[in-house]
Amino acid sequence: MDSSVANPSVWDTQKVYKHHEQQNVAQTRAKYREGRRQRAVKVYTINLESRFLLVQGVPAIGVMAELVQLFALYGVVEEYRALDEYPAEQFTEVYLFQFQKLTSARIAKRRTDEKSFFGGQLHVCYAPEYETVEETRQKLQDRRRYVNRASQNTAKQYYQQPEVSTESSSTDTQASAAPEIQKDFASARRENVKSDYLCFPEQPLAPTEDVSYRLPNFTQPFQLQWSTKTTLPTEDKMGSLHNSIPPVPETSKQSASSSSSSVKERDLSKRQESLSRPVRFMPRITHLESRKRKLEETVFFLNETETLIGPKLPELPKVDMEDHSLNVTANLIRQTMTKVTSVPEVKPVQVKTTTPKPRRRI
Amino acid sequence: MARKNQFSVSDRFEFLQGLVTEFQDTDSDESKEQVLANLANFAYDASNVESLRMLQVTDLFLDMLTEENDNFVEFGIGGLCNLSMERESRDQILQNGGVPLVISCLSSNRDETVLSAITTLMNLTTAASRAETTDSAVVQCMLRFSLTQNPRLRNLASVFLQDYCTREQVDRAREGIQGQSQSVVGIPLPKD
Repeated sequence: MDSSVANPSVWDTQKVYKHHEQQNVAQTRAKYREGRRQRAVKVYTINLESRFLLVQGVPAIGVMAELVQLFALYGVVEEYRALDEYPAEQFTEVYLFQFQKLTSARIAKRRTDEKSFFGGQLHVCYAPEYETVEETRQKLQDRRRYVNRASQNTAKQYYQQPEVSTESSSTDTQASAAPEIQKDFASARRENVKSDYLCFPEQPLAPTEDVSYRLPNFTQPFQLQWSTKTTLPTEDKMGSLHNSIPPVPETSKQSASSSSSSVKERDLSKRQESLSRPVRFMPRITHLESRKRKLEETVFFLNETETLIGPKLPELPKVDMEDHSLNVTANLIRQTMTKVTSVPEVKPVQVKTTTPKPRRRI
Repeated sequence: MARKNQFSVSDRFEFLQGLVTEFQDTDSDESKEQVLANLANFAYDASNVESLRMLQVTDLFLDMLTEENDNFVEFGIGGLCNLSMERESRDQILQNGGVPLVISCLSSNRDETVLSAITTLMNLTTAASRAETTDSAVVQCMLRFSLTQNPRLRNLASVFLQDYCTREQVDRAREGIQGQSQSVVGIPLPKD
């Protein structure tokens, strides 16, 4: 112990202090103040907390890397080492961890104390005796700053209307008193020190912290995708793209019926409509009707403005049935057939696109 | 933060009120210790400080400092250490004459009690109360603490001497220790 006085290094002392020992949990708590976990009757103050954690009960089977990984989940570990001289139970090791922030150490302690680790049960406690004077000072200052910021917030919650005036007057007197103390006691060095602890949020979940940093970067492209997706064929309620035809024939129509400007304009306006319109369910019959209507429109346009180039499709051969009544029937059938087939015959390309999945008849 | 908002302000107040009531009503020392530790730990959370002050828990803690039971003293000064971080509670402790009671805790046998007392004294030091909190007897006591083997006590006493006392005060205390005018503050009574 003399060495620790002569050389005040942080990593020297190996004494077992009372606050390292595990105390017995209280078994006799009243129901209404029973916590989720049974705990000893103990009061935590800022003096007892520290960025240094002492980890006892680590099985001596060479799992230091795993232990460090476990504790790194809760925050930045500045330093760690095995305390070989520390009195440990047989076949176990004792480690010392120094976190960058007090909050990380607090969460790490809460999450790892009394948890099993490679067959052993960890006992994790704060080890403030490894702090330097400067670290102790910083710890107290950060705590004081945090409490006063937090209590001002809660005070606002408490008295929203009437007592604001008294609040402000009392803080005024404090504010006038505070700078004096600062002048008197704060050394210049103290002011220059950068705060490592900064703040004491109650429960910042260390593992998710990293994710939340990255998330904005991830969500940005996602959102972009969603907005562009509205122009793409949208899935129906059953999750298939089968019924999402409207945009497809338009594009094919554009390429097939190669560009009259009016058609283009109409297509554009239609596409804008479909862009702005939210996806909505349309029954299949409506789809078919609208498809048919569109086809008729295009046929009309073709007949009006365009001249057909190339050979005409062969007409149905007229066969004499050698019987009047049979001929009448045949003519009827032919008329209906021409009526039915007239549309696909004129535009065979569209027949392909409108029936992308021909149903097999059984 | 999410867990903090689980209970509304009024629920929290009622729960703390229940604790205070049990503390006053019960005859069992064990229950008293448990409730006192509960209250002292609740004082750590800044969002409870307002409620605790309204429930006069500051006085409850101060009353504990003169108890025979060492646990009561340790938990009481621990609660004061937590409470005094906040300015209004600090003022309340000062108004209720807390400084001499806190100074008496410096002579405790228990490390935690002494450490809490030092931190509380730091928190209680204002321009007005400075003469009282950095009394020459206290400064002498801190000087002795700053030379002990216990690193926590040594560190905390060093911070007190460096940040809350003037150089003249420390020099005078050092002379006092070497000379005749020694104070007994911070020296525990022998156990019987």
